Amino acid sequence: MHNAEAEWKEYRDAELARATSVLTALGFTLDAEQPHIQGERFLMHALTTKSGRKLILRGSHARGRVIIKVTSDPDGKRELRHERECRRVLDEIRFAYGIFRSPEEILFSESNGLTISVTLFIDQEQAFLDRAVEEQFALTLAAFKAQESAHATTYEHYRLVEGTFGSIDADGYIRSLRGFITSIRTHALDTRTEMFTAVEQQFTENRDRIEQYCGFLTHVDFVPHNFRIHDGNMYLLDHSSLRFGNKHEGWARFLNFMTLHNPALEHALTWYVEHNRSPEEWESLALMRLYRLTELICFYASLLSKTEGDLHRLTKTRVHFWSDVLAARLENRDVDASIINAYRDTRDALRSPEEKRRQIGLH
Amino acid sequence: MQVDSHNARLEMMKILIATALFPPDVAPVAVYTKELAQRLATTHEVHILAYGRFPEQVPGVAITTVSKRHPLPTRLVLFLIALMRHARHADRIVIENGASVELPALFAALLTQKPYILHRGDRTVPTSRMRVLIERVAQRYARRIIINLPTPRPERLPFAALTEETETSYERSWQAHIRELEDALAYA
Repeated sequence: MHNAEAEWKEYRDAELARATSVLTALGFTLDAEQPHIQGERFLMHALTTKSGRKLILRGSHARGRVIIKVTSDPDGKRELRHERECRRVLDEIRFAYGIFRSPEEILFSESNGLTISVTLFIDQEQAFLDRAVEEQFALTLAAFKAQESAHATTYEHYRLVEGTFGSIDADGYIRSLRGFITSIRTHALDTRTEMFTAVEQQFTENRDRIEQYCGFLTHVDFVPHNFRIHDGNMYLLDHSSLRFGNKHEGWARFLNFMTLHNPALEHALTWYVEHNRSPEEWESLALMRLYRLTELICFYASLLSKTEGDLHRLTKTRVHFWSDVLAARLENRDVDASIINAYRDTRDALRSPEEKRRQIGLH
Repeated sequence: MQVDSHNARLEMMKILIATALFPPDVAPVAVYTKELAQRLATTHEVHILAYGRFPEQVPGVAITTVSKRHPLPTRLVLFLIALMRHARHADRIVIENGASVELPALFAALLTQKPYILHRGDRTVPTSRMRVLIERVAQRYARRIIINLPTPRPERLPFAALTEETETSYERSWQAHIRELEDALAYA
């Protein structure tokens, strides 16, 4: 077993034992099966937002089924506090015309060295990707419109939101992109150098286009496992990934995700942007997709040294697959369906049984 | 009378539109102002003065912006200066309602003696007494007040075609709006 995985398992088991007694005393019962702390969970960390180690657990309480986030890690505690603050401020932003729904908070406690956040479990009738593509489209578009409706434009707006959500401008994106590319070149030497040079060039040459759409509320990890749908309403599960930045940052993450998981939805959303939004928006979205793909490749490239065996082979395949997607997007075309299918086959063959269990109903 | 009105509409004018919101802002009035500029620019010379930094471009329309990143008093003064500079070259001035435009417009009208037409596109009720006062004074000194808003542009959706009726009704509402505005501009 690789060091990173062994270290995570040691942390997870110790944290779970400690949390179980505290949670039991508080009247919570943990499920016997805990899929969110299994499989590849140990590799998950955000590259661009505040994130630390934490356990995400399923349980029950007198009020019903609950989701428990628990951590003793200082970065994890900061993340949970930050997420709670984001949720609170989101309700107060005067210039936001629409807001997200959040699962009801049952408990937020900081005692015995543990920070615990408990919210009601949102039961969804169907996983997002099992719904009809028309419904997926309508739900996604409504969510993006809600994000876009919070636009910080004035000096006063920025003073209100900067301390809570954080904000990033075009220069910040360019700095991050350069960091991703340097990291990719360090970790994955065989990756296409010229392609990343072209991405950097296109991005820096269009700095003003990126800046033009900055100042919008955007969820940088807006993908189906971070929201749930109940009675036609979308509930946001992760508020720590909200920030003020380019409005297409969230769109880009979602569309890139759908390149693999549901190309029909990806096409419907890009069709919508092309036919309803300005040419400038179209360009900004294309640039942000390049940015998010580079970030994703950087994420997987950085995991190469932390993995071994099948997971290492899978990570390498992921670097190559997302590089193929990036190459296609750079030429403003879709990646070939045969490349997607081949990647899915390899992924399914190399995934561990625990990870396969973790993936059930996730999206 | 109808013929006179029609001829007046056809005469090319230099129109300055002052607005607080313009795309990439997403508020309905921002979207409206962009569409208005686009349509007026087919017969008139249009100049937009808006708050913002990187406005979306409209072919054939000049756009001047004042950054919103300055503290409120600074941006109001900068907007007033820009408004006075461009008002000198304009035949007509249209202002979109909202205190951050109405206040500079009042001073500009006083100093340049150029009247303005007020369009009440934003129906948000002012929250402070000061804003209510500015709105009242701005309305009092406006040469004309227009309150109508055309139908918002219907969205094109991938799974449902737009009906001809929706498109026609949208076009008609804009034609009526432009007619009303051009009449106001002709006799302002």
